[in-house]
Amino acid sequence: MAQKDTTPPPGAALRPPRVFKLVLLGSGSVGKSSLALRYVKNDFKSILPTVGCAFFTKVVHMEAASLKFEIWDTAGQEKYHSVCHLYLRGANAALLVYDITSKDSFVRAQSWLKDLESEFLPGEVVVMLLGNKTDLNKEREVTFEEGKEFAESKKLLFMETSARLNHQVTEAFSAVARELLQREETVGPTQKENARVALNEGPPRQVRCCAH
Amino acid sequence: MSLKSERRGIHVDQSELLCKKGCGYYGNSAWQGFCSKCWREEYHRARQKQIQEDWELAERLQREEEEAFASSQSNQGAQSLTFSKFEEKKTNEKTRKVTTVKKFFSASSRVGSKKEIPEVKAPSPSINRQTSIETDRVSKEFIEFLKTYHKTGQEIYKQTKLFLEAMHYKRELSIEEQSEFTQDFYQNMAERMQTRGKVPPERVEKIMDQIEKYIMTRLYKHVFCPETTDDEKKDLAIQKRIRALHWVTPQMLCVPVNEEIPEVSDMVVKAITDIIEMDSKRVPRDKLGCITRCSQHIFTAIRITKSEPASADDFLPTLIYIVLKGNPPRLQSNIQYITRFCNPSRLMTGEDGYYFTNLCCAVAFIEKLDAQSLNLSQEDFDRYMSGQTSPRKQESEAWSPGACLGVKQMYKNLDLLSQLNERQERIMSEAKKLEKDLIDWTDGIAKEVQDIVEKYPLDIKPPNQPLAAIDSENVENDKLPPPLQPQVYAG
Repeated sequence: MAQKDTTPPPGAALRPPRVFKLVLLGSGSVGKSSLALRYVKNDFKSILPTVGCAFFTKVVHMEAASLKFEIWDTAGQEKYHSVCHLYLRGANAALLVYDITSKDSFVRAQSWLKDLESEFLPGEVVVMLLGNKTDLNKEREVTFEEGKEFAESKKLLFMETSARLNHQVTEAFSAVARELLQREETVGPTQKENARVALNEGPPRQVRCCAH
Repeated sequence: MSLKSERRGIHVDQSELLCKKGCGYYGNSAWQGFCSKCWREEYHRARQKQIQEDWELAERLQREEEEAFASSQSNQGAQSLTFSKFEEKKTNEKTRKVTTVKKFFSASSRVGSKKEIPEVKAPSPSINRQTSIETDRVSKEFIEFLKTYHKTGQEIYKQTKLFLEAMHYKRELSIEEQSEFTQDFYQNMAERMQTRGKVPPERVEKIMDQIEKYIMTRLYKHVFCPETTDDEKKDLAIQKRIRALHWVTPQMLCVPVNEEIPEVSDMVVKAITDIIEMDSKRVPRDKLGCITRCSQHIFTAIRITKSEPASADDFLPTLIYIVLKGNPPRLQSNIQYITRFCNPSRLMTGEDGYYFTNLCCAVAFIEKLDAQSLNLSQEDFDRYMSGQTSPRKQESEAWSPGACLGVKQMYKNLDLLSQLNERQERIMSEAKKLEKDLIDWTDGIAKEVQDIVEKYPLDIKPPNQPLAAIDSENVENDKLPPPLQPQVYAG
């Protein structure tokens, strides 16, 4: 498997940022697409010139380095759950999204976590639990504490957001980015020699330009 | 009795069991009648010969191509000098070529060339290597393209040729090994270009695309749906499965696409065309391109229907619907081929990779599809699957207005046909009735006649006396006066 270039060689300024694949998981209509749309285009379900919003890219500039997110939206309907593990291949991060007004979606998020656990080694992928729709606080079924407790027990990042009000959305993605970069530094290049993810990533510098 | 004959059946002459070479040891059919020792010698000799032939052929081909490269290069004038030197060096190196290959692809190539596989050799390479027009065109383009990179270009060309040669000897290996070798090659090339050639990343990507195009156009014939795998069987299975699911409607899949809008049905047709076109491409990246175009048409269709951008929740069902409607040829083979031989950096990341993953999901879903995933009852699902009824037949009225002209016409024709069928049946039943009536009538008449005949049997009594004595029975004949005698009157 390719070695991760943690120490950029001379001429690094020219090279494009490291690409991280982030998968959005969660039941239908919890706001996965809206979150991504809000984050990437700062928009909420308005008519856009882009055709689809299932695949996004965004370059993030952090203090230390910059990285490029490749955001993969997934179909959340229950019936597609069985095939969705295919999306997880080669992912670097996952956002487990649930709707704070639906207990059911919270339970589903937990079952998604099980899928992730079976697909990846612990620590291989950055997972964030995300309670969306805080603008509907009155109809809340899952308390902040419940979410936080679960996230802590599983060592996940946790936040509550509102894609509609653009509350905490960028912060959530940034937290994931920070965690990714941090792990990259501490874990180093040796960790990823896992046969199960042989096709995981191409060499890190082979960055694909987004068509849009 | 039967036991006896069986025993006779397996009886083999002792001499047939011995090694064909007559060394005295027993032979084995797995070694074509040789003993293990003789077989090894025999096989080794044949194999050496084959290897020798292959080398010669490969060298000849390379010479040809280098000449083509040289001639195109010499047209440029300035370049010709350096190239002829390069050419010269090449010829010198020819004798040492085996070691060169090993040097570049050390670990894997050694395994490949030394491994002995007790299998029938691949058909004569001269047949396999027949270069088609397309291969020629791609080669020319590749050479043209590399010219712009001067020295790096030459190096790349050399590496690529070496790789193709090495692949030629790996043909008998499993497809997984060939795939792995190709993936290694991609990675090595990209790395070398970056570290040694100092090629900027976006250029590397361009060159990698060209390399992929060049090598895969040449390898396609041998590595697409190879006989050693069950790809073809899987193709047929999914094809049959999709055919059996012909009755699935967009409503059942919750597809957010309204085909009654002409623009949308247009997009659907385009998407289907794209996904079908995938099979006609040779290069994995071109195949991915077809999937991406198909996906973009799907997104457009959804956006027109919903007038808001589509999310993955909408996209996947629609893609499934398109695959079901299109039934693309050799679907599994194509997916396998892309997975094995596409440049890995494209497959796991990037937009193409995303759509490809969606296609894989769609196929996996179709394979597993059941009543529950279509919101149907198990009985309905079974009935539709067995072809007893079709939900579409009941909905044909609702279907026709939105469908395109052809489909409308088809429904009209179907209607007509069913009407005709009905009339035909009526005629048939009337005819049957008439036939029956006719038979009944003849039977009736026959019966009546019979009855009458029985009732009034026809007895013809034989005449008792001759006709002359007709009045012989008259009792008082004697009492009659004598018959008048004729008298003559003269007057």
